Amino acid sequence: MTPLVKIDDLRKTYRTGAVAYEALKGVSIDIAAGEFVTVMGHSGSGKSTLLHLIGGLDHPTSGSVKVGDHTLQTMSETALAKFRRGNIGFVFQFFNLIDNLTIRANVELPALLSNGRSGSALRERSDELLQDLGIVDQAEKHPWQLSGGQQQRVAIARALINQPTLLLVDEPTGNLDSASSETVLEILDTCHSEGQTILMVTHDPRAAARGQRVLFLHDGQIVDRTAGGSAGRIGQRLAEMG
Amino acid sequence: MTMRAILKKARADILSRPMISLLIVITVAISATLLTLALATLMNLNAPYDQVFQELNAAHVWIYLDRERVGRRDVERIRSLPGVEQGTDLRYYVTTRADLRGNRVPVSLRAIPLETPQVNRLLLEEGRHLAPRQVELLASTNLDDLYKLSTGETIGLTRADGKKVDLPVIGLAYNPMWDTYRNDQPPYIYVSEETLRQLHPDESTWAWSMGLRLNNPQSVEKMVTRIETALHGDVVESYTDWRDVKRAAVFGARVNFIFLSAFSFFAILATVLVIASSIGSIVLSQFKQIGILKTLGFTKNQILWLYLGEYLILSLIATPIGLLLGIALSPLPLKSVAASLNTTFQPPLTVPLTASVLSAVPAVVVGSTLSAAYRGARANIIKSMAVGAEAPRKKSSWGIRLATRLGLPIVLVLGLNDLFAKPFRSLMTGFNLVLGVVGIVFGLTLNDTLGTYKANPALMGIVQDAMVTRRRTSDRKTRHLLREAPGVASFYSEVLLDAESPRGRSFQVRAIEGDLGAFPFQIQEGRFLQANTHEAVAGRGLMSWLKLEVGDELTITFDENPNRPTTWRIVGQYGEPTNSGEMMMVSLPTASRWVRGIEPDTYFLKLARDSRTTYLKEYLKQNSDEDLNVMFTKQAIPDDVLSLQLAIFALAAILIGIALINVFNTSLLAMQEKTRDIGILKTLGMTPAQVIAMVNASAGLLGLIAALMGIPLGFALTKRLLGTLSETYGFGEVHVALNLLYVGLLIPLMVLVSMAGSILPGRRAAELSIVRVLRNE
Repeated sequence: MTPLVKIDDLRKTYRTGAVAYEALKGVSIDIAAGEFVTVMGHSGSGKSTLLHLIGGLDHPTSGSVKVGDHTLQTMSETALAKFRRGNIGFVFQFFNLIDNLTIRANVELPALLSNGRSGSALRERSDELLQDLGIVDQAEKHPWQLSGGQQQRVAIARALINQPTLLLVDEPTGNLDSASSETVLEILDTCHSEGQTILMVTHDPRAAARGQRVLFLHDGQIVDRTAGGSAGRIGQRLAEMG
Repeated sequence: MTMRAILKKARADILSRPMISLLIVITVAISATLLTLALATLMNLNAPYDQVFQELNAAHVWIYLDRERVGRRDVERIRSLPGVEQGTDLRYYVTTRADLRGNRVPVSLRAIPLETPQVNRLLLEEGRHLAPRQVELLASTNLDDLYKLSTGETIGLTRADGKKVDLPVIGLAYNPMWDTYRNDQPPYIYVSEETLRQLHPDESTWAWSMGLRLNNPQSVEKMVTRIETALHGDVVESYTDWRDVKRAAVFGARVNFIFLSAFSFFAILATVLVIASSIGSIVLSQFKQIGILKTLGFTKNQILWLYLGEYLILSLIATPIGLLLGIALSPLPLKSVAASLNTTFQPPLTVPLTASVLSAVPAVVVGSTLSAAYRGARANIIKSMAVGAEAPRKKSSWGIRLATRLGLPIVLVLGLNDLFAKPFRSLMTGFNLVLGVVGIVFGLTLNDTLGTYKANPALMGIVQDAMVTRRRTSDRKTRHLLREAPGVASFYSEVLLDAESPRGRSFQVRAIEGDLGAFPFQIQEGRFLQANTHEAVAGRGLMSWLKLEVGDELTITFDENPNRPTTWRIVGQYGEPTNSGEMMMVSLPTASRWVRGIEPDTYFLKLARDSRTTYLKEYLKQNSDEDLNVMFTKQAIPDDVLSLQLAIFALAAILIGIALINVFNTSLLAMQEKTRDIGILKTLGMTPAQVIAMVNASAGLLGLIAALMGIPLGFALTKRLLGTLSETYGFGEVHVALNLLYVGLLIPLMVLVSMAGSILPGRRAAELSIVRVLRNE
């Protein structure tokens, strides 16, 4: 079966003047449709860079990223934007909501960018998502009026509004207390159980354990792979990487 | 020590950002130039006349002597009277006729000394002065205005024996004592005494006059009385008072005054806005630096001092540059005033002007810097460092809610969102754009208003299509000829009478009769007079001078019959185009009861629609003694006003340019503040084109709002301004017009102009690296 995401010998080098920093050193991963994969690693291991490249937010130095039929490294900025809008849902550690738009407007934004105009179908879809995530009563509020956990749920609703092929989640619990973290992870579990493909990067073993597969990234390379399920085992492996 | 650190940092900032420093210097210098131009214009509106008067050592009074009663020795006695500072020699003149572009017009042929006189020198505008032993002439500059005369042409002058002799025009000269108030005064032609003698050998036909400079320029009437007392008789036939000349000259330039005052008003407003928005934007864009400085331990006051010092230093460099540039350019707006006075103008570097500019510009810089830096100093350190700019408003506005409800495209909604994220800044930029729109509307309104006046000169009080004057041909014959003349639809005749009020105020009265109903006299108040009654209509100038109101009665004496006062009832106020409106109009048959033997010598014609001017001219020439002179009403609007119109459009272009810079600043700053939001939007799939469209939509909406606000505001302001100023200068009611087609075109134009200002910031936003934004989080 053809994987949904196929990453082959992916490399990314950042240059600051004469100094070069290699963030990814030949990463290759395949993710099947409907799979929940987590990437573990310490700060600076290249987790976010990997996520940005798979999401088409940045261009690789070499190697290839293929998501469905889209070969990202060959696409223009505009094509990448349209690709992101139609295929990718992003969830970030700091929620990245737009402060002066209401919760509903934030959620509907990716759909509006695709369709250009509002409509009753969109309203139904956003209501449904907000209802599912338990924040429908907050719809007319602004992000800064909500708690961190609520804001992350808004971010998830926004990520799901266009029914993306792939959900990219970057440290979703990094900025939340444990109760809120648990709620967010349960939501992600639910999404996965409904067939959503998810790639999550985190350094939280409890979060990583939610994945079916866990990849360990260290100094820009995949150094280990394991099955999800046990937070203790994953935490121990992470500790061993230093 | 602290101050040294602040100075060190200020110096480093100025030198390390040469482009920004240069931008500030240029902005402040341009503002100082604008302010200088505005103030120089306002402070020097009267200066062109005063300056030329002083430079030419003009006479305060020019007296016309009764040569039957004075001798040559009396001239010396007059010059040595107490109160006389200096005087000219005896000056001779003869009234004769000249051929000017096919018109036979009366002229005053004046002998002038070949060497430069001490008093009342002529200002040579073109060509050279008279040379000895040459039969040639200098023409007065108003002949150039009336007949487009220039150096090198010839003028046919009638000699004493009636024959015509052609004399070359070797130059054009301005006489500071040529009184435009006396509209019956013929234009001057200057020749040497030798040439005058050749043309008019009989010296007994020469009239005598002389000019005097007085110790007290205000004592003209006293001096005339003193002369008559000293010479024991009524020796002064008439005199020209320098104050009347000045008043008439300045009145002639009144339209220019109106528009230049308006120009100054806009320029001062623009100065304040440019500085406030530019400096404010630049300071607010340095939030990251403010955050770092606060982290390092800078206090609020130290931050204020730092920015204040930086911008004050730059403004102290830029302001004198702008001042000097403004001084150098200030003759430009005043050129039209100077031109209408037939002179040139160099504004003086006065203390009030210099002090005003040197203090006002840095003061505005200090104000804008302090307000922006204070906001910066108060901002949260972490947010300042993270966002790099002041955080935008956190609540969505009614505008966005409305746009969302209306289902407008998302880029438009987000553009509107940007606009309301910083309402004060948007307001400032919007105000600047509105100012630009107001400037354009001012220009357009002026254009259409002038068009209205051009199409209908009657609005300026010019009711006739042509005017005929006679000399030898009798009134009866002239009327007969005009009745028979081809193309003359109707006419009325006029005789000008000199009159005096009980308080000794002299003015002229138009005594008229004929087919008055055919002429569109502009009655601004009351009604027109009825023939054969003691009713009169008066010009606005006379009404305000004599403090009259419609319905009042005025008793006057005519100079021709000073012992018989006559009372007239003012039934209306009419638009009088000459003599500052200080004229009155009465029925000629009634006036002739008080002044015996008067006959009209001027005839105002209304021509048939298809009439040919050449036929009329030829007909009158062939059927009269060639002394009937016809002048057609050509252009009601002087050329200098039309060129001023161009200046107004240029000003509007400058204002739009300034607004464009402001849109650029605002868009750039908004983009900087919204870096995070733009990063998020791009992450969510906003394409580069959508980012540009969003930034452009924001600016375009600002342009749209500015146009919708600026057009009615500009029209109302222009109407009010023209009305107020024209009232002040005695111009009367202004018929303001504006073409709706231009208005319709202005709206999309402003949207496009605003969008143009945001193209670069929009492109920068579109090229923003998402990863860099996310990493900053």
